[in-house]
Amino acid sequence: MEHYISLATKAMFVENILLAYFLGMCSFLAISKRIDTSIGLGFAVVFVLTITAPANWAIHHYLLQEGALAWAGFPEVDLSFLNFIIFIAVIAAMVQLVEMILDRFSPTLYHNLGIFLPLIAVNCAILGGSLFLVEREYTLLESTIFGFGSGMGWFLAIVSMASIRHRLRYSNVPRKLRGLGITMLLTGLLSMAFMAFSGIDL
Amino acid sequence: MRSNTYTIVFTSIVTIVLGFLLAVAADALKERQELNVANDMKKNILLSLGFKPAADKIWSSEEIHSLFDKNINAIVLDAKGNKTDKDPKKIDTVKDIENLPIYIKKSGNKIGGYAIPIAGKGLWSTLYGYFAVEPDGRTVKGITFYKHGETPGLGAEVDKLWFQKNFIGKKFVDESDQLVGVKVVKGKVLSDDPKAIHKVDGISGATMTGKGLEVFLLDDLLKYEPFFKAIRGNS
Amino acid sequence: MAFLDKKSKQAFTDPLSVNNPITLQVLGICSALAVTVKMDTAVVMSLAVIAVLSISNTLIALLRNLIPGKVRIIVQLSIIASLVIITDQVLKAYMYDISKQLSVFVGLIITNCIVMGRAEAFAMQNTPGKSFLDGLGNGLGYGGILIVVSFFRELFGSGTLYGYQVIPDSFYEAGYENMGLMVLSPGAFVILGLIVWVHRISADIEEE
Repeated sequence: MEHYISLATKAMFVENILLAYFLGMCSFLAISKRIDTSIGLGFAVVFVLTITAPANWAIHHYLLQEGALAWAGFPEVDLSFLNFIIFIAVIAAMVQLVEMILDRFSPTLYHNLGIFLPLIAVNCAILGGSLFLVEREYTLLESTIFGFGSGMGWFLAIVSMASIRHRLRYSNVPRKLRGLGITMLLTGLLSMAFMAFSGIDL
Repeated sequence: MRSNTYTIVFTSIVTIVLGFLLAVAADALKERQELNVANDMKKNILLSLGFKPAADKIWSSEEIHSLFDKNINAIVLDAKGNKTDKDPKKIDTVKDIENLPIYIKKSGNKIGGYAIPIAGKGLWSTLYGYFAVEPDGRTVKGITFYKHGETPGLGAEVDKLWFQKNFIGKKFVDESDQLVGVKVVKGKVLSDDPKAIHKVDGISGATMTGKGLEVFLLDDLLKYEPFFKAIRGNS
Repeated sequence: MAFLDKKSKQAFTDPLSVNNPITLQVLGICSALAVTVKMDTAVVMSLAVIAVLSISNTLIALLRNLIPGKVRIIVQLSIIASLVIITDQVLKAYMYDISKQLSVFVGLIITNCIVMGRAEAFAMQNTPGKSFLDGLGNGLGYGGILIVVSFFRELFGSGTLYGYQVIPDSFYEAGYENMGLMVLSPGAFVILGLIVWVHRISADIEEE
């Protein structure tokens, strides 16, 4: 149990997928202008990462990995070179599926998340999460927790950034630094703040 | 708007062409990639045992091959430290705890050292490497890591020379020949520390990687302890 | 470049100066900042992006009149993903040591917004020749920034450039220390922020 809590905290704070691995920067910079939209996108990322991580884990383990097709009578086949393309297809399909399910069963949530879901298919954080769990050889449960933790980390980062940028409107930033420049510098500061968690050991 | 049939035919063609290209590329390059992996393993065994390429040069794959074949004797031990006649290439060093591959450096009839595979969790990932022991069975000859997913600049420093040099000459047994392992300290080892011979400098910012390393190194040494104990008894 | 008409030339040179994809359009920094700790990985990563971007742009421009509108995105995505896989396989086969360090970040070129962005915005409307130049230009503009970032990070973070020590030992003896911050992620953000600032002053661009 402790192992899983520790994994989740690590993914959320210590090695935040955005602040330490730079994943999902595009939408982070574009969407963090407003707090409410960033909360919406943040939730959508948590949601999709938590679903795609175990889904891609299963596909990697039962279809693509070397020797994974032994159950179908092909123990020699190694399809791991197809990882990237299959993962991105699974992510796109999952996003579509989530969209349809939400539309059918929870129209309000769909309405709130709706516009963000398509953006997520090309968010590096989602594909990055799937690639990391293959590289780090996680189990199914670990993958799910890692996916959820990374999503939460991303959520925290974008919401804090949106709040900072909200306040920033009152400050006198040098003209040419406004927008992207100051956001990058702030992200640097935010990422330093998150590094302070690195001593935590559960 | 084009018809559905066109869309379906078009996407199928794209899929088939791309799939074919990928399969060809993967198949054509596979042999080379596997060779790279095997070479990398041999290279790391050689490095851990103190072989070095001439200054400013890199080993070619043939050199690695011939050096390895000439100087290294790969065998498999059982859990009691006895020699078996299994093939070390077929052993899964992480999962198989009954069969222990070991790489012995020989020059003529003289033994120059032993290298054992080590693997375990760092902060993020499983680290894989080799740990080499001097012929006395007490002193560290070298350590290398060839695969890990630690953070660049932090945990990933384990594959840097300065960190690995740290280990050379340290003892992993105490005065009464009991196994104690090698501790990775936070910061630098104090020179007046009476146990400094069992400790190495840590990586700043990567305490957890060091902790992990310490634990799995001891675990792996424990597996080989019967073998090294026998060696210490002989010397 | 007399053999190119003005528009093609622009497609190539624009992204190299005023319209730099990273500093202006905020595209594609996701996948690559993590490999800018050292110059050698940054250079290889830039080459990989340049190759993928120019080839995918050319291929998509060739197919632009054939691709059905409904499945446009997924077709572009599969072409890009296949190119990335081939790049990854080639790196694994011929540059094993570097590819080990790049690890998952080569795969992340797929979701690099730049590649999809150029395919959708430029290659779908233009001839293969122009699209190739556009891809090359954007790739170079992107790679240029990566290399500049990695230059500063390696110089200040490790005291080396491209693996060779440039800060003399006498400096270290005199008390100089490498800046640990540069090796860590905040260093990349700060340097990139400063580059954006300098670029905007020189190109006279403002954002509200």
